[in-house]
Amino acid sequence: MIYRFCLSVLAVLVGAAITGGAASAHPHVWITVKSELVYAPDGSVTGVRHAWTFDDMFSVFALQGLDSKKKGEYTREELAPLADVNVTSLKEYDFFTYAKANGGKLEFNDPQAGYYLDYNTKESVLTLFFTLPLKAPVKAKDLSLEVYDREYFVDFSFAEKDPVKLVGAPAQCKLSVARPQEMGAALSQQLSQLGPNQRDPSLTVGAEFANKILVKCP
Amino acid sequence: MSVKPVVGGRPVVHFALVIAALAGLMLVAGALDAALAQGGPFGAPRAQAPAPPMGGVLGWIFAKQAEFYRQFSSLIRAAKADGSAAWGLFGLSFLYGVFHAAGPGHGKAVISSYMVANEETWGRGVVLSFASALLQALVAVVLVGIAAALLNATAATMKRAVDLIEILSYSLIILIGVRLLWVKGRVFLTTLRTLHRPAAVGAAVTPAHSPHGHGHHDHQHDHAHDHAHAHDHGHAHADHDHDHHQHCDGHAHDHAHHHHDHDDHASAWGHAHAPEPEELAGPGGWKRGLSAIVAVGLRPCSGAILVLVFALAQGLFWTGVVSTFIMGLGTAITVAAIATIAVFAKSWAKRFADTRSGYGMLVMRGIEAGAALVIIGFGVLLLTGYMVSERMVGL
Repeated sequence: MIYRFCLSVLAVLVGAAITGGAASAHPHVWITVKSELVYAPDGSVTGVRHAWTFDDMFSVFALQGLDSKKKGEYTREELAPLADVNVTSLKEYDFFTYAKANGGKLEFNDPQAGYYLDYNTKESVLTLFFTLPLKAPVKAKDLSLEVYDREYFVDFSFAEKDPVKLVGAPAQCKLSVARPQEMGAALSQQLSQLGPNQRDPSLTVGAEFANKILVKCP
Repeated sequence: MSVKPVVGGRPVVHFALVIAALAGLMLVAGALDAALAQGGPFGAPRAQAPAPPMGGVLGWIFAKQAEFYRQFSSLIRAAKADGSAAWGLFGLSFLYGVFHAAGPGHGKAVISSYMVANEETWGRGVVLSFASALLQALVAVVLVGIAAALLNATAATMKRAVDLIEILSYSLIILIGVRLLWVKGRVFLTTLRTLHRPAAVGAAVTPAHSPHGHGHHDHQHDHAHDHAHAHDHGHAHADHDHDHHQHCDGHAHDHAHHHHDHDDHASAWGHAHAPEPEELAGPGGWKRGLSAIVAVGLRPCSGAILVLVFALAQGLFWTGVVSTFIMGLGTAITVAAIATIAVFAKSWAKRFADTRSGYGMLVMRGIEAGAALVIIGFGVLLLTGYMVSERMVGL
């Protein structure tokens, strides 16, 4: 009887948990990422050059109400105000770019001037070009770069073709790209044992499923 | 249903009370935790939270809705080339709506909590769900129709409009929660005081056996509940607006009085309880539901706005409008289903609580007051930006 009563209270709770606990979302923006790691002549990394292509629905939404001389076509100048909005908004989210070198986190400065948006009329997609300079250039044996939205409102994925380039890197540097992987059975089970709002610090699911660039320069 | 006699029922009830109290806390804490996991997009420090759940049923739901959403643009393009493709778009809109409501969004959370706090009938839950979902679709259509189609406003302007609506909607949610807490909290305290009177303790006798279900319970409990009954009436008169949602326990008695017919008891226990016309249309019937409908339905779905703007750009605004309303229909079905679960879970809990005399009633009152707290919690978290149910991305 006690158990049944508790069960019933639990049922109410589960109902509430289903409704309230699952405060998670699906993305409304998809971004295809192409990145370049820029190296100084002395072999240190100075920054990341991003080219992010938005999906067509979001691109069209972002262009809503924007004036252009030629209908359906937008020049870089016409898109400049939008690029400003983009870059300013992205600041709040650390540009969704996370880098580590030799085990430590790297800090970025705000993008250099010269960022811009391009509009591809044929595919009706916008691409944002911007460069994130590192606060301090770093010589790294092991460098990792990840691009993801922890809150998953934006879905990032590396381009199929040439997702990453090393610009001016020492010859011995090797690049590898890890794409979001399928969840293993073990991790899946580990997650299912957590409550809906619990977090296990040993699990770094966000990073696990992120797009990751690894550069080794022995 | 066979109910075993319980000896020493009071410790058990105390135990149950503790559970109920913990339950309320857990709900609030849970909401908080989920919120922190979501982080603060408005400059608040973000926790080192992992990405959204990717496994299990939820992961599947998220994957599905993302997959459906991704197909919108190509289907709208297809509909531009060939009108019959619009049917595919409408089908997709429906599926997206169904899945979308199962994911994020404060709508179903608030409606379910509202249902639990009010001991609403199943029928009213369905009406609330549909009305709020349709209002949500309407707001999206009106917003895009006026802002984008008529005024050629920019995406940034629409985002600001949505932000304003959001603030209004979340403030309303808090107001509803505060009002409910005021009513339910007082009832809870009154019940608590009543229980500490000797007469009520004496009435804490558990029925021995009832082979024929609930009708029997009713008669047993009419006496045990007498005190609460009297108090309910007091409140009902003090506050006309809330008269009708004093359903918990008082429900059976209220009805008996309205109808002067004791056979009504069987339907008065929450289950198999069809919405009665007088409840829906009676004084305060629609009015009190309206606040919840508006609070929840005011904030348009970001996805719907994007779809509408995209359709507009393709010269297919009206196709987008139909698609938005079908999306709303799908959303309503899911929200109604979840609200139904909440209502039946509560009436199930009540069935056990009722066999426990006045303390059970106290538990129910506690759950109601707790649900009101949860509504306030949601409202505050949403308003302060600690919980984001959807983000109008301003990239």
